[in-house]
Amino acid sequence: MRRRPGIAGLQNAAATRDKFRQVGENVAKVRTDVMQEQLATFRSQLEEFARKHKSDIRKNSVFRQQFHEMCAKVGVDPLASNKGVWAELLGIGDFYYELGVQIVDICIATRSHNGGLIDLLELRKLLCQKRKTDLGSLSSDDCLRAISKLKVLGSGFEVISVGKKKLVRSVPTELNKDHNGILELAQAKGYVTVEQVEKEFSWSAGRAIDALETLLKEGLAMIDDGHSDGKRRYWFPCVTLSPDASGSEAKS
Amino acid sequence: MQRTVDFKLPHFFNYPPYFTLQPVRETREKQVQLWKELILDYCRSQKMYIISLEEDFPLFSNPKIERSLSYEAKEVFLAALVSEGRAEWIDKSHKKCLILWLRIQDWANYILDFVKENGLEVTTIEDIRSGIETHGTELAGIDRGVLMRALRLLEQKGKAVIFKGSSADDEGVKFSV
Repeated sequence: MRRRPGIAGLQNAAATRDKFRQVGENVAKVRTDVMQEQLATFRSQLEEFARKHKSDIRKNSVFRQQFHEMCAKVGVDPLASNKGVWAELLGIGDFYYELGVQIVDICIATRSHNGGLIDLLELRKLLCQKRKTDLGSLSSDDCLRAISKLKVLGSGFEVISVGKKKLVRSVPTELNKDHNGILELAQAKGYVTVEQVEKEFSWSAGRAIDALETLLKEGLAMIDDGHSDGKRRYWFPCVTLSPDASGSEAKS
Repeated sequence: MQRTVDFKLPHFFNYPPYFTLQPVRETREKQVQLWKELILDYCRSQKMYIISLEEDFPLFSNPKIERSLSYEAKEVFLAALVSEGRAEWIDKSHKKCLILWLRIQDWANYILDFVKENGLEVTTIEDIRSGIETHGTELAGIDRGVLMRALRLLEQKGKAVIFKGSSADDEGVKFSV
């Protein structure tokens, strides 16, 4: 005959549940302790590592990128806050803030020339001039990181890809697909003509002129009526490197 | 045409669209600014005072990129200098322009310093323009008209007296420094 559930049975069951809970809590606590210990060890190791290689991190762009990758893998963002242990320890936050400020400077200073769109390589070159270092010491990755930090300013700093190039935009211009296409086409010679645009994209003359006029109004393009064939050329300072930069690009 | 000695032309001089007047205001402002600076720097380095719109001027065309400024563009750039007091039209038809890479006031100060340094309290106009002390200074070969205006400004301020010599081209100056 099956025993009917009695008071004792219920109490028993409750006690068992309690036991289990206690054990569970214990296990969890032990685990947390172990985790915390591991984390502390890890943190101190990472700090030690960072301290040891501080100058490498600051100086060597490849090393810097690797360090960032490592931090990303373990879910640490050394740039998250300037007050964070990483920033204090490394001054690495400062590195990017300084870079960010210099990027803003250059973007504003060159804005009247390029309409607020600058080639990333050109930007890097100008940054290196400003910092009096050579191009190798400052990677594109560094610039992109610094620019991503500028986003919190809400000032519309953005990196866009046009063809093979990366362009840094410092004015909130809406560039549509047509404009991007033209910028990409212009990379070949630094300029385009209406005819060329029509032919390349099979657009009507109106569409080509409309897009070019917009780019002109935004200060991204400049007209050139001086060629002997009499065709107006639209030049794009943002995709034309200054003469001393084009040489180094040809080599790389 | 004078040779462009010891003068490094800026990058924009090799960028074709800078030779076409830009229709968009901000772009145009930047363009005008760059040309103004270039014209002043160039004239200073070459010690040139007069630019004639109807004659060839080395700055106004770049054979390397096969571009040259239109008459209108030249006039716009020079007019911008005029409006800033850095140049003056010599004729009514705006065909010749006097470039003041130093303003008359700055010339006057420059002359005063020059006179003090060299102890030339009494000298002649010609000596200021081509005397031994003048060699290697901004004053070498200074435009006579510019020099006279700077001197007259000093005269107004009571810092110099211009006096006639025996002949017309033998004027002298006495500075009170």
